[in-house]
Amino acid sequence: MSIVPKETIEVIAQSIGIPNLSPDVALALAPDVEYRLREITQEAIKCMRHSKRTVLTADDVDSALNLRNIEPIYGFASSDPLKFKRAIGHKDLFYLDDREVDFKEVIDAPLPKAPLDTAVVTHWLAIEGVQPAIPENPPIEAIVAPPDGKKMDHGKDDSLPIDLKLPIKHVLSRELQMYFDKIGELILGRADTPLFKDALLSLAKDSGLHPLVPYFSYFIADEVSRNLNNLPILFALMRVVKSLLSNPHIHIEPYLHQMMPSIITCLVAKRVGHQISDNHWAIRDFASKIVASICRRYGHVYHNLQSRLTKTLIHAFLDPSKALTQHYGAIQGLSALGPSVVRLLILPNLETYMQLLDPEMQLDKQKNELKRKEAWRVYGSLLLAGGSCLYDRLRLFPGLLSPPDILPWKTNKKIALTNLPNNKRKASSRLTAHQPPTKKLAVDPTGTNSQFPSTDGPVTSSSSGSNPNHHHSHNSSNNNSSSTGNITNANANINNVSGSGAHGQRVAVSNVLRQAWKEDLDAGHLLSSLHGLFGEGIFSFIQPAEMHCFI
Amino acid sequence: MEEEVEKAVFVYLRKKGFRLTEIALQEEQTRLSSDASSLSRSESDAAKYYDGYGKLRSWAYNSLDSYRHELLRVLYPVFIHCFMDLVAQGHMQEARTFFQTFREDHEMMHLRDLQKLEGILSPSHLEEMELARLWRQNKVKIRLCQYSYELLVQYLHKTQSLAMLGVINEHINFEVYPGQPASMSDDSEAVSLIGTSQDLAREINQKELHWGLLEDSVEERMEKTLSESDKTEVDGNKEADTEDNNKKKTDGNKHSTAVNNKKKKDKVVGATGKTIRSESSMVSVPPRVKPELTLPQFPPEVEQSILEDLRNRVQLNSLALPSVSFYTFLNTHNGLNCSTISHDGSLVAGGFSDSSVKIWDMAKIGQPGRASNPQGENGSMQGMHSLASDEAKRPYSLLQGHSGPVYSVSFSPFADFLLSSSSDNTIRLWSTRLNANLVSYKGHNFPVWDAQFSPMGHYFATASHDRTARLWSVERIQPLRVMAGHLSDVDCVQWHPNCNYIATGSSDKTVRLWDVQTGNCARLFIGHRSMVLSLAISPDGRFMASGDEDGTIMLWDLSTGRSVSPIIGHSSCVWTLAFSCEGTLLASGSADCMVKLWDITSSMKALKTDDSKSGPASRLRLLKALPTKSTPVYTLRFSRRNLLFAAGALSAGS
Repeated sequence: MSIVPKETIEVIAQSIGIPNLSPDVALALAPDVEYRLREITQEAIKCMRHSKRTVLTADDVDSALNLRNIEPIYGFASSDPLKFKRAIGHKDLFYLDDREVDFKEVIDAPLPKAPLDTAVVTHWLAIEGVQPAIPENPPIEAIVAPPDGKKMDHGKDDSLPIDLKLPIKHVLSRELQMYFDKIGELILGRADTPLFKDALLSLAKDSGLHPLVPYFSYFIADEVSRNLNNLPILFALMRVVKSLLSNPHIHIEPYLHQMMPSIITCLVAKRVGHQISDNHWAIRDFASKIVASICRRYGHVYHNLQSRLTKTLIHAFLDPSKALTQHYGAIQGLSALGPSVVRLLILPNLETYMQLLDPEMQLDKQKNELKRKEAWRVYGSLLLAGGSCLYDRLRLFPGLLSPPDILPWKTNKKIALTNLPNNKRKASSRLTAHQPPTKKLAVDPTGTNSQFPSTDGPVTSSSSGSNPNHHHSHNSSNNNSSSTGNITNANANINNVSGSGAHGQRVAVSNVLRQAWKEDLDAGHLLSSLHGLFGEGIFSFIQPAEMHCFI
Repeated sequence: MEEEVEKAVFVYLRKKGFRLTEIALQEEQTRLSSDASSLSRSESDAAKYYDGYGKLRSWAYNSLDSYRHELLRVLYPVFIHCFMDLVAQGHMQEARTFFQTFREDHEMMHLRDLQKLEGILSPSHLEEMELARLWRQNKVKIRLCQYSYELLVQYLHKTQSLAMLGVINEHINFEVYPGQPASMSDDSEAVSLIGTSQDLAREINQKELHWGLLEDSVEERMEKTLSESDKTEVDGNKEADTEDNNKKKTDGNKHSTAVNNKKKKDKVVGATGKTIRSESSMVSVPPRVKPELTLPQFPPEVEQSILEDLRNRVQLNSLALPSVSFYTFLNTHNGLNCSTISHDGSLVAGGFSDSSVKIWDMAKIGQPGRASNPQGENGSMQGMHSLASDEAKRPYSLLQGHSGPVYSVSFSPFADFLLSSSSDNTIRLWSTRLNANLVSYKGHNFPVWDAQFSPMGHYFATASHDRTARLWSVERIQPLRVMAGHLSDVDCVQWHPNCNYIATGSSDKTVRLWDVQTGNCARLFIGHRSMVLSLAISPDGRFMASGDEDGTIMLWDLSTGRSVSPIIGHSSCVWTLAFSCEGTLLASGSADCMVKLWDITSSMKALKTDDSKSGPASRLRLLKALPTKSTPVYTLRFSRRNLLFAAGALSAGS
């Protein structure tokens, strides 16, 4: 009934030397103790008010005891309010952190600096009702300081006009906290439920999520590094990233630097998920798309964003010591950044790289089936990258492959085919072109095919006509290359010309068009070199319309 | 036989319509009859109180809107008495539960009282605690309109709730008035219900109050000289002033006409007297009164300086706000209890909890060498020499003499003396020229919370924990008057500008105005909900502002004793209040680190438009809030030229 429990009375009695207080007495005393406590507190509050303070100190209680003619309690003198600490494990239990002081230590310690003496300084709080903006006055848009107990030590008091930058406390509403927790839970546990889809939708659309972005970016970075082996979670995280990026209400730029590493990790990590069982290629593809979209959206704001990214990726690509999976990721990432990046960064290195890749793909040289599969994957991605680049060029310059007259190319077919082995090209490229079709087909359906429709939709439909096309493009490339004097192309050109005597007319045409095609020369190169490297696989990237005009 | 008589009595009562008496009689009978079974009763008493009160409460809350607030007023005293009854009967446990259950309803209005009463747990506490005793011994008077009263009686009759009936009969006096219930806002009476204070206040506030300014004051003389000698030169300057005054005074007159006939007569006399005297202006200045104390004469050179100041006074109003010069105390280590600023702002004094008083001379602070000298070398010096050099090194003069925390300091009008009051029960008078203690005044039996010099000097008033305020003259060590009447500590004291009255604010949540000649209470102001911490009286002597612990500032009309406008001015204790010299602005300083400026004139105008009795009084208009940098404002003072000085201690971290 009284807020002072009778146990307290018993303890106090024991402490002053009354070992066995009868419970009745304690019970009777408890209410009175409470009453006295209240009385003293009331007086102490009065003293506090008259000392013009709003925090009760031990001195006030002493003064109150004095008012009542009671001996004050010694040993608690302090000009500051006492600092209570919460007892660990108890909700409402507090104690004074009263350290035991070694007497000797105190005596030996050097005298503390004398406290600064009281001083009075003046300033204008207002001049004719207007507060001047001087350091002695609070800033105009006074931020209410969070009472986080950061005590300015007294030594600083004399230098009053310091501008203290107060940390702005950022308060997350309860609802947002719950939302965040829920999303986190979904990502980590139930990413395959329809609920998660709704969550992604909400992340992509809701307007009030901005306060959560730093938390999300931290969460993502944290979880990606922790769950590299868990593909579903990585996937879920990447999907969250994608949703956040697509949310029009979120200003995500300041947090990109936090998110990018995790995304790139997903792209080029050596091992993502279980190497064998999981389809880690998919997450690399997904990540590459996210990276590309980020570059497209924020590349103009952060000028070094793309350059830094490509640098990272090209390093991964060109380092032979890196695993094939990493190479794959790098190629995917680079190719997602667009054909020009592919042209500038991948294609120049393609030949050397193919040398590396080639042995990996051959049945007799690489016995490890897994490795071989990986190599084929890389090959596929390279093909895709090169092809899409080519496609882009061709699309840009539709006139490239449209000579005015249509010739019976069929005759050339044989020649061209026979030409190929004669070409003084790298054995590797020849091998890639001839040996693997079966292999390639075997691989394609599993993974790469799924990419084809997504990146270049209209192309696949044309695959049936690849053979005639082959000649066609080959010829055109020869036309171009003859003018540039590139050795390899010249070779091909010679072969071509010598092999098909009926080409005189075409050569003439090419001469006519040389001027017009001048700027498109590299496209021609491209095709020829790509063809050299990939064989006819590359023709699937040429637009049907153009093919049509050659057929 | 007896029964017959009883019946006859009832018939008689019914015929005459003495319904209350009838109920009382019935109840008395039931009580007598139940007394027989009193033993069994006490057991179920606790539950009865609990149920009875709970029912009464829900009934009151469900009553008709227009009568509800009146009926709710009844709840609080019933609640308190139920609780006390329970305690008195020894049902501690039940009393506690009862209190906790219903306490919330009353927290808004009576938080402080509840906090006090909460601790009562045994019958002996009831005896001991003064507040409880007051409750027990006095009847609460509640004004109800006819219909509310009938509703209540009907309810009590119908429910046969004897416990409630008993409590109400025993402790509440109803004052029934005909007609419609009073408006909600008129709840000042509801705040303080204890015992006689209601009546007392009404009675006291009937008295005549001569609130006008002193005859033959310096200002008046100045006006005279102005009007006589160089009328043309200062015409513009004065015109504005007098015009302003005119407006206000006429307002004032009209207002009091409506309220108090006596007042009116009084003022008209004063006013006519004035018109005769100053032919140039009309009814310009507040009425003049004769001093009741023999007041000292200012020396001519002092008078000269006052005149100089008055000539240079800046006109302040809602459009022209004052400049504020802020004195910040640094490194006080939580030890500064009070501060004061002299009229010209040149001296600043602080009273510290280490019993010392320190005075800073602002003129000397600017001088290099003195202030910048590091202290701490003093230890090596010795004897007289060290004293002298010490003196020279310190940027302030240190006054030591008290043996307890110093709770207030006050400069005499020309800053040649300083008063300090302390928890050692003494007040000391210091000379600022000699930096020495002149007199120690003993008389109070408990810490002296406040001491204030009169506006003319020579006299001073003190307020103490011993529940008295005392009036002293500097040349006598015994008080001249002892003003007793407050029910709790007297926390602050303030002089009326005409020196005939002093105002005191107390922990009993009232403000009183005392006549210095008779020592009687002249006005009692009820309305604050917590301890009154600061007071200020307008320079024309008509209005008083008081600030309390909760941050509320109330403005009172001294002549009527009514509240003009209560405002929630601050979020924390209002430490200080000050009126500008023309009375157009009120400045308030608070523990929430703000100086706020309030428009007085506009609220007075509003006062005139609504007919004083009706509707809620207009609120004071906040003109400007000036936040300081974590420096609670301890003192405010308008100089004679209307520059506002403020002082406070930088509170590090907290």
